[in-house]
Amino acid sequence: MVTIENLNKFYEIDGQKQYVLNDIKLNIQKGECVILKGVSGSGKTTLLSIIAGLDKPSSGKVLVNGEPISKLPDMHLSAFRAEKIGIVFQNFNLLDGVSLLDNAIVPLVAAKVGLKEAKQKALNALKVANIEHKANKTPSELSGGEKQRGAIARALVANPNLILCDEPTANLDIANSLSFIQTLKELHHMGKTIIVATHDSLFEELDFKHRVVEISQGLLVDS
Amino acid sequence: MRNNSFFYFLTLNLLKEKRRFVGIVLISTLLIFLLSSVLFISSSIKTTLNSSLKAQPDFIVQNIKAGKVAPIKAEQVDKIVNIYGVNKVTKRVYGRYFFDDKYSALIVGVDFLDEQSSKKLVKIMNSVDLKSFLSKDNMLVGQGVLSYLKSHYYATNYNFLTPSGQMQKVNIFKALNAKSSLISNDMIIMPLELAQKVLGLKESELTDIALNVPNDSEWSNIKAKLESLNFSTRVVSKKDMKKAYENLFNYKGGLFLVLYLIVIATFSLLLYLRYSLASSLERKEIAILRAVGWSIKDVLELKFLENIFLVIFAFVLGSSLAYIYVFILGAPILKDIFLGGANLKQFATFTPVVDYSVLSTIFIVFAVAFLGSVLIPVWKIAVTEPKEAL
Ligand SMILES: Nc1ncnc2c1ncn2[C@@H]1O[C@H](COP(=O)(O)OP(=O)(O)O)[C@@H](O)[C@H]1O
Ligand SMILES: [Mg+2]
Repeated sequence: MVTIENLNKFYEIDGQKQYVLNDIKLNIQKGECVILKGVSGSGKTTLLSIIAGLDKPSSGKVLVNGEPISKLPDMHLSAFRAEKIGIVFQNFNLLDGVSLLDNAIVPLVAAKVGLKEAKQKALNALKVANIEHKANKTPSELSGGEKQRGAIARALVANPNLILCDEPTANLDIANSLSFIQTLKELHHMGKTIIVATHDSLFEELDFKHRVVEISQGLLVDS
Repeated sequence: MRNNSFFYFLTLNLLKEKRRFVGIVLISTLLIFLLSSVLFISSSIKTTLNSSLKAQPDFIVQNIKAGKVAPIKAEQVDKIVNIYGVNKVTKRVYGRYFFDDKYSALIVGVDFLDEQSSKKLVKIMNSVDLKSFLSKDNMLVGQGVLSYLKSHYYATNYNFLTPSGQMQKVNIFKALNAKSSLISNDMIIMPLELAQKVLGLKESELTDIALNVPNDSEWSNIKAKLESLNFSTRVVSKKDMKKAYENLFNYKGGLFLVLYLIVIATFSLLLYLRYSLASSLERKEIAILRAVGWSIKDVLELKFLENIFLVIFAFVLGSSLAYIYVFILGAPILKDIFLGGANLKQFATFTPVVDYSVLSTIFIVFAVAFLGSVLIPVWKIAVTEPKEAL
């Protein structure tokens, strides 16, 4: 599902290469749930961004679903992102002033799905994320946990097979965090490939099959 | 082609951003309103002047006495008629008559028996029984004159006071609508001899003599001939009149400059506002859209449509308001800037004239600058990797 070989990402600072990701090699099978663990600043977000095609690697090979994601032209890459990848952001990133239902439609607009079908799919996604009762509320009217579920609905709406979550519980209380893990379990049982970047210890004892990958100062460490 | 979900989202976005856009739309509308008003007024003035110039003869021959325009001897007409290349030589008797210090009308004497003079009046004369009109001292009056006389004197006749102190009673034969461009609201038409009496001219005297020269290349040649008729002859050509009209507007140039500066300053402010809005507030929105699968093209298209809508909305609203302001309300305030003290009777109201080529130029310049100020920052944001969404 995701194949990463010899991935490097560095920033040129004062003529010096500062490596954020260093020779990463990672293979994720379809249906796997991978917990990408590491302290703040270790490079988790950078790695997720590159997998999602939101950032470009300095060198190396990244294949997602067999596609060389960093080499696709924008039109192709965007369509791929709209249909094949769902992202749950740390700070939710919902559009302000737009209801959860309409927020959930946004990826489908890019995927050129008709309005009627898009609304139906968005409503279904809100059901799966357990937030359909707040479908007409805008983000400012919702709690952190509710926003999170809205963001999950948006990530699921196009029925992608790869789901990326960046620090999904960082802005949640313990109850909401546990409920998120419950949702994650359901997604895992639906056969989704999942990558969660987190430094939350709650993810260390999941009650379903998963793999923990640790990243430290841009290097993958075996655990 | 875009489907309904795209347009749904576009509408949603416009509605969601309405508070953000209200200021920008207001300034844009005001700007378009100001520019269109100036455009409407100036094209209306230009058209009116051109049509009144068109009605003017090519040359007017006047007599100068002691530095002032004085009556000209009617016998000059015979000499002018004999100049080769001249036609439509017309005896003219006219003058402004002041009823009181507030109201005046233009008295125009017409030689109804002269084919040349009466030809112009054919339309009017169709509705007038010439025989009975000429049988007594009669006049035709414009609607403005009629309503003035009705309310201050009688609706049937008026006693003019001649310069020599005598009373000259003239009957109102008929009132004329101001529909014909030759007849204005404040005009009185009467037989030439009667006009001479009212205006204090002798029978052998005219106000001036008008003539046409069909061949343009003969103009300077004929002008010289006319001037040599008599040492006191003054010749005014249509070109001179045109220049005089143009001067009337150009000396107000300073005010226009100020107006244009205001417009440019407002426009720059608007573009700056739009630019900074696009590069700050819309930055996050664009990053989110890109992160959930919108292509650069999708984002640009959304922003283009969103802003072209604002542009069209502001343009239609601004120019419609300008139309109402200028042509229905008569452009209070701006009118004074344009015409100043020049009390030009023909601009009591502005004749609706819309110069579509200038109007569309305003639209294009406005739209291109406005869209540029949005789409350039949007494009810059959209092409960078949208990783900051994460
Ligand atoms: N544009 C950039 N220029 C320089 N360094 C950067 C840039 N973006 C991120 N970094 C650095 O990359 C490192 C990894 O960041 P990140 O992937 O966000 O870590 P994490 O998500 O694990 O907290 C950090 O040290 C950060 O300072
Ligand atoms: Mg991070």
